[in-house]
Amino acid sequence: MRLYRLESKIVALFIILIVVVQLAGFVAIRTAIDRNARSAISEELIIGERVFTRLLDQNAQKLTQGARLLASDFGFRQAIGTDDRDTIASVLANHGARIGATMGMLVGTDGLIHASTLEYPDTDLQRSSLELVRKAGNGNGAAESAVVGDNLFQIVAVPIKAPVTIAWVVMGFPVDRDLVNDMRALSQLQVSILVRQRGSAGWTADVSTLPKAEAQMMAKEASSPQMGQAGATDLQIDGNQYRARVLPLARASNGQEAVAVLQRSVSEAVAPYQRLQLILLSITVLGVLGAAVASAVMARRITSPLRDLATVAKRLGEGDYSEGLYIRRQDEIGRLGAAFETMRSEIASRELKISRLAYQDQLTGLPNRVQFGDLLREAIGQAQALPGGSCHILMMDLDRFQQVNDVLGHSFGDDLLRQVAARLAAQLLYPGAKVARLGGDEFAILLPGVDLDGALDQAAHILRALEQPLSLQEQTVDLGAGIGVAGYPAHGDSSEVLLSRAEVAMYTAKRKGNGVTIYDPAIDQSSQESLSLLSELRRALERDEFMLYLQPKLDLATGAVVGGEALVRWVHPEKGFIGPDNFIPFAETTGFIRMLTIWMMEKVAGLSARLQAQGLRLKFSVNLSTRDLLDQELPTAFGAILERHRLTPAALCLEITESAIMDDPARAQSTLDRLAAMGFALSIDDFGTGYSSLAYLKRLPVDELKIDKSFVMKMAQDQDDAKIVRSTVDLGHNLGLRVVAEGVESEEVWFLLRQMGCDQGQGYFMGKPMPVERFLEWLQQWRAPEMLDQSENVAI
Amino acid sequence: MQKKNMRRAPLLALFLLWAGTWALSAQAAVSVQVLDSAGQPVPNAVVYAEPAGGGGAIKAARQVEIEQKNKTFIPLVTVVQTGTAILFPNHDNVRHHVYSFSPAKTFELKLYSGVPGSPVVFDKAGTVVLGCNIHDEMVAYVQVVNTPHFGVSERNGVVKLDGIANGRYTLKAWYFTMGPNQAAVEQPLEVQGDGRAVIKLNVKAVPL
Repeated sequence: MRLYRLESKIVALFIILIVVVQLAGFVAIRTAIDRNARSAISEELIIGERVFTRLLDQNAQKLTQGARLLASDFGFRQAIGTDDRDTIASVLANHGARIGATMGMLVGTDGLIHASTLEYPDTDLQRSSLELVRKAGNGNGAAESAVVGDNLFQIVAVPIKAPVTIAWVVMGFPVDRDLVNDMRALSQLQVSILVRQRGSAGWTADVSTLPKAEAQMMAKEASSPQMGQAGATDLQIDGNQYRARVLPLARASNGQEAVAVLQRSVSEAVAPYQRLQLILLSITVLGVLGAAVASAVMARRITSPLRDLATVAKRLGEGDYSEGLYIRRQDEIGRLGAAFETMRSEIASRELKISRLAYQDQLTGLPNRVQFGDLLREAIGQAQALPGGSCHILMMDLDRFQQVNDVLGHSFGDDLLRQVAARLAAQLLYPGAKVARLGGDEFAILLPGVDLDGALDQAAHILRALEQPLSLQEQTVDLGAGIGVAGYPAHGDSSEVLLSRAEVAMYTAKRKGNGVTIYDPAIDQSSQESLSLLSELRRALERDEFMLYLQPKLDLATGAVVGGEALVRWVHPEKGFIGPDNFIPFAETTGFIRMLTIWMMEKVAGLSARLQAQGLRLKFSVNLSTRDLLDQELPTAFGAILERHRLTPAALCLEITESAIMDDPARAQSTLDRLAAMGFALSIDDFGTGYSSLAYLKRLPVDELKIDKSFVMKMAQDQDDAKIVRSTVDLGHNLGLRVVAEGVESEEVWFLLRQMGCDQGQGYFMGKPMPVERFLEWLQQWRAPEMLDQSENVAI
Repeated sequence: MQKKNMRRAPLLALFLLWAGTWALSAQAAVSVQVLDSAGQPVPNAVVYAEPAGGGGAIKAARQVEIEQKNKTFIPLVTVVQTGTAILFPNHDNVRHHVYSFSPAKTFELKLYSGVPGSPVVFDKAGTVVLGCNIHDEMVAYVQVVNTPHFGVSERNGVVKLDGIANGRYTLKAWYFTMGPNQAAVEQPLEVQGDGRAVIKLNVKAVPL
């Protein structure tokens, strides 16, 4: 049986424990009782032996007294003195009967039997008597036990004095049942007297307190070799266990023997303890039951709150935080319950916060895109439930918001968005309509159960409301908006489809500048194309259709190759070679550019590591887009790539266009600071084409300026361009930056640039962008033009 | 008057002594030393010499006393010639019941005190063991002999046999521990005037 429940385990443990303890105690007590009983029996037997010996002695003394009394009778002595044998015999019989002797004899000092109560005295008896007389000698009498026939006798001999010893009286007394019964009454022992005849191996029972049959069995048992010698032995009689002690009583010179066997029933001695054991057993049973009940109660007290906690935990797992669990206890379980309760309320409040973050736009407090999606799904569900039910959404994008943001700053932009949100919320025509901010300056309005006309009414209403200029921080802003409309069931039956179609309609409206546009499958074609382009780009990345191109970058003074700019080309499996202008802007708007940047970094790092291993130390540049700069994760991702290739950031240069920086200067700066801190060299690309302030540039952690190729290409012909280049070079040097010229397409330009002190250059004159393998071949062939001497002669 | 008589007494004694010396001049005295198995002198031993020819001169029988004092027969051992009467005066203040089951003389003096009226005549040679029926520890031995030459050894184990005529004798010795039925130890004795003799008994002497 396996115990899966804690409760059963606890109960089982308790029961096993108590059973083991009780069992051990029971066994120990039982053993002790047995041992004690046995030793008590042994003691009893030893004492019994002493008592029995004393009893025999006393008996003998009593007999001796009797005999002595007889011996001192004057008449008797007179009879002996006159040798009146008949009289002597009758006196012996008469006086013997008085003291219970069954036989009497007169033995002369000559050692002959002069008279006897038995007509033919047993030879055994004669011999024993004469032996006894001899033993008494000059003493005052003697007594001993002797075997006569099959019986044990106590015989005594006393001298007859007149006044010197003239004869001996010998009297014999059978050891009878009375004696053993006396012994039994005194000691509770069973007493048997066994006799063994000369030459016989077995004993016969003479008298015994045992029933006759048992006495015979005992006699048979006693014939076994270990019996017969003194000491305690075990006896098995009729299935009962006895402990016995053998007491030698008589051993005649002819080999006749008599012993007394004292025995005590072991089971009798153990009997009083059996009651005790029974009591112990019942205590054990009660203890086990008690332990079972107590442990079950205790286990229940432990496990039932645990089960409740498990139930609540399961509910928490399912997202139900409503109901708590209150365990009013001071112990560990109570504390666990309290901790659990705290955890439940904390999780509940945290989830509320998380869902607010997830479903609410933090700026305006309106539902965000996710929540709007949910609401829309709900509305579609409701509409589906009604025959002819419908719902519509409006999607709206503010015109010129980017410019406002750029010009008036982000906080102004945020305020503006809040104002717009408030105004939209105030313009809702239908109960149940909801405004949401989908992101940036994009808003959406859900109109559940509203038909197309109603939706158009609402759209017109909003446009009218937006015509009112917004006053904000003493500025007045004119806002326009494009609104796209899509609805169920006309344009789709899922929230995703409706949202994307409303968006398509909205872009169309903005493009046309006509305010409100209802979705039309026709206008969706173009958006389908761009969607397919994005998925193609993704696939291209998976299938490795992009190729890394490198354009060499040289030191203008020495003509040595210092590195290259990394560029990307797309080799489309069907459309063939696709130039960067055809997909980079799209990638930038969709954000795909970030994946492309990572891809570039990976490739360039791999190449760089490969070349470094060959001893070529070239510094490659990777372009970063606006999106990249806004991506806070970028430095970490770059760091991971470099680490994988065991490169230091110093081996790479990152190029950023001015416009990319100026989209969100604060975030761009923080990203650039982190990259610079990592050790990347930073370069401002296309310098001269943007609107960056020098004051801002000064703060950027850049190392290099790249003069836009539009100035460089024509600088040999155009004096203005040449001046711009020259002053830019100076500007860069003065700011402590390295200056690189792009678009070097002729030897002439090279020299001009060198004269101006420009540090490095790149352009078709040195090399076009080329695949990596070609670039490596080019590296081998490249020889700097041998016109370094002429440089001095060229006039500016 | 009385004074005169007293003055006359030593004269009489002197005469008797003389007469005795005269009479003894024809007869010898034999000193017999009784020794036990360990060579120690045996007191209280009965020694008597029987003439080899048998039949000794009849000596005038005189009365002998065995008194009872302090629940004891005194003396313990007595030797008398056949036909001697023995008186058993009781000097204790308790009564005694003197008896003998000995074949040589079986008699019984039932409980009495003071001096019994008549003595008991021991007319048969042999050993007579005397006891008191009410005082088991009381015992006395009387050896009745057929000769006038007898005595009981002194403390030093010596018996003096006086007035014994020269001739051949059988010297006999008996000790009470030998038991009533045991015969006396005997050895030949040749009397030639005063002499000495040693007789050895196979007993252990009981000190007095």
